[in-house]
Amino acid sequence: MGTKNRKITRRTVLAGAAATGASFAIHRRARAVEPVKIGFTMPKTGYLGVACPVAYQAYELWRDQVNAAGGLKIAGSEPRPIEFISYDDQSEPSKTVQIYQKMITQDKVDLLLSPYGTPFHLALGPVAERHKFPIVGSTSNSTLLRDLGVKYMWAGQQAPDVYAPEMVKFMQSVGIDSASMLTLQLPASLEFKKFLTPELEKAGIRLDANDEYPNSITDMTAMVGSVKAAGSKAVLGLSYPLDSALYVKTAREMKIDVPMQLLFIGPALPFFSQQYTGADLEGLMTIGEWSPSQTAWPKAKPFYDAYMAKWNEKPDYLDSVISYASCEILEQAVAKVGLDHEKLREVISTDTFDTIKGPIKFDGNDNVATKPGLLQVQNGELEIVWPKEIATATFKPKQGWS
Amino acid sequence: MIAQLVFVGLTTGAIYALIAVSLNLIYGTMRLLNIGHGDMAMVGAYISFWLFTLADVPPYVSFLIAPAVSGLFGLLLYRGMFAGLLRRVQGDAVEGSSLLVFFGISMVVQNSASLLFSGTPRAYRYFDGIVEFGGIAVTESRLVALAVAVVAIGAVLAFLKFSIWGLGVRALIQNRAASAIVGINVDFAFTFASVVGFALAGLAGAVISMYQAVTPFMGGPYTTVGFVVIILGGLGNINGAIIGGLVVGLLETAGIALTGPNFRDLLIYGVFIAVLMLRPQGLFGRKGAH
Repeated sequence: MGTKNRKITRRTVLAGAAATGASFAIHRRARAVEPVKIGFTMPKTGYLGVACPVAYQAYELWRDQVNAAGGLKIAGSEPRPIEFISYDDQSEPSKTVQIYQKMITQDKVDLLLSPYGTPFHLALGPVAERHKFPIVGSTSNSTLLRDLGVKYMWAGQQAPDVYAPEMVKFMQSVGIDSASMLTLQLPASLEFKKFLTPELEKAGIRLDANDEYPNSITDMTAMVGSVKAAGSKAVLGLSYPLDSALYVKTAREMKIDVPMQLLFIGPALPFFSQQYTGADLEGLMTIGEWSPSQTAWPKAKPFYDAYMAKWNEKPDYLDSVISYASCEILEQAVAKVGLDHEKLREVISTDTFDTIKGPIKFDGNDNVATKPGLLQVQNGELEIVWPKEIATATFKPKQGWS
Repeated sequence: MIAQLVFVGLTTGAIYALIAVSLNLIYGTMRLLNIGHGDMAMVGAYISFWLFTLADVPPYVSFLIAPAVSGLFGLLLYRGMFAGLLRRVQGDAVEGSSLLVFFGISMVVQNSASLLFSGTPRAYRYFDGIVEFGGIAVTESRLVALAVAVVAIGAVLAFLKFSIWGLGVRALIQNRAASAIVGINVDFAFTFASVVGFALAGLAGAVISMYQAVTPFMGGPYTTVGFVVIILGGLGNINGAIIGGLVVGLLETAGIALTGPNFRDLLIYGVFIAVLMLRPQGLFGRKGAH
């Protein structure tokens, strides 16, 4: 019995030594592949629940692509897989603030991606500043981020004070001298209106019908009726997805025959081309400056194809694109300087990044490399019609409805 | 333009009336405050969307399938949850308890839909031609919505008015205790109200899916409007729900034309509050009812 015990003990010692060695090896390996935790919130419920999938689908595509390629390249260390830590902010900016603070202090995320929507970015600016945690913005366009003077957050899209003059330049270039404006009472569209109205005046473009409507709108007959009565040459719908669809439904019924019909957010979203096709979709315009057919950006078409393959629907040319581009910026910055937040802030502030929408470079909070643009549905596809330098087609006046 | 506004207001109002009638059936008989009612419409809308998209089933077939599914859901909820609640809880406590229960159900249904289908809006095209008559131009789907609402509400009214079971349901709406004393089958009336109430909400959703994008969160506004309408018309009053629905529909179109789109909520809730102040029992409710 005792002999047996001694033999077992010897074996145990040997086995134990081997196991300990293996354990160290496994532990080292485990430490080597410990994932990079990247946190963000999305409004999966609430009023923005319908708009955000195009953004987080872009995030998820990027994560899968990076992981499939061996992980996130980090300066000074081995690539590591990406692990997302994401929460639903219920379309409430105050929840975004709480959750990002939790992700920084409790979840101890390594990096952060931006939330969805302008008010959420603005609410988050001071958080990024307080924790000195860099966040590359995406689906936000507001001058207020600049006014906040934050150094750890950057805007992905152009602010309305840059966008509005470009829109007016386009209108002048196609001979539009009058417009009707329908504005949803949400911060981003109201701020856009604030900058667009004086630009229209300055350019001598007459503003006819000029209505604002609440998020709860269910019928636009009266508003579209006043647009028809005004006989403007442009309809500027500063609208969100569901009211953009409501506009099209009503404009069809009332046969709004206006050459330029622009809807702020909507025509680039997949559901829009399920609800409306052919002549109804043809000629509609929206904001954005991206197209997979722009050959100057070699990464654009592969992104489009990969997104289609993963999600079986087209990306949103505005929100999916800028969300993915914000990931690319972070990826390139991390590859250059690692996970140190101060070094990341420095490199994001100064470098030029190669993204699916061409080069992006920040001056302060603003992306100064991308010119704001306009898209138009032509032959069922969205084409860039402004600015001319990157246009993939020329503007065609909208020709009626089906 | 005026004719267009009035007609569009009536079509919108007809759907509101359909939702309000179904909500009032549930409230009138059982005093259950179903704040998840709009979510049943959402379920009906998804049924119609997926059947059309995946199996080419036209929406008019879904007008039968969606109510059958949501009616079954109503039956299961009644048998599994509310029959017991109504035995245990009496009086005003029923309203409070049901409010909480339906809040929970609403959350579960909404989030399940969000989990299954994501928040991405879904849409399809059907009955989307434009019909013109008498200076009015409307999408076919609006006319179909009007027709379906009229037929469905008419069928409910006919059942309540001309059948012996309907008479029992009406008696129950008027006075639950007395109905039980005179031998009315209360359990049958409750089952009827649950099944038909949920089925009509599902039907409304299937109709709405033809002209509005389907999302997991589309039901909330319909619940709100449904409650505004039934309080306006009188809680438990089926005829009041019809008139209230049409009034709110017209306020949303003609009322906005007269004032401005940013007055939309002010108009609806202004009228709602004014009615509550002047006639707390609603436009067609009886004083001291319930």
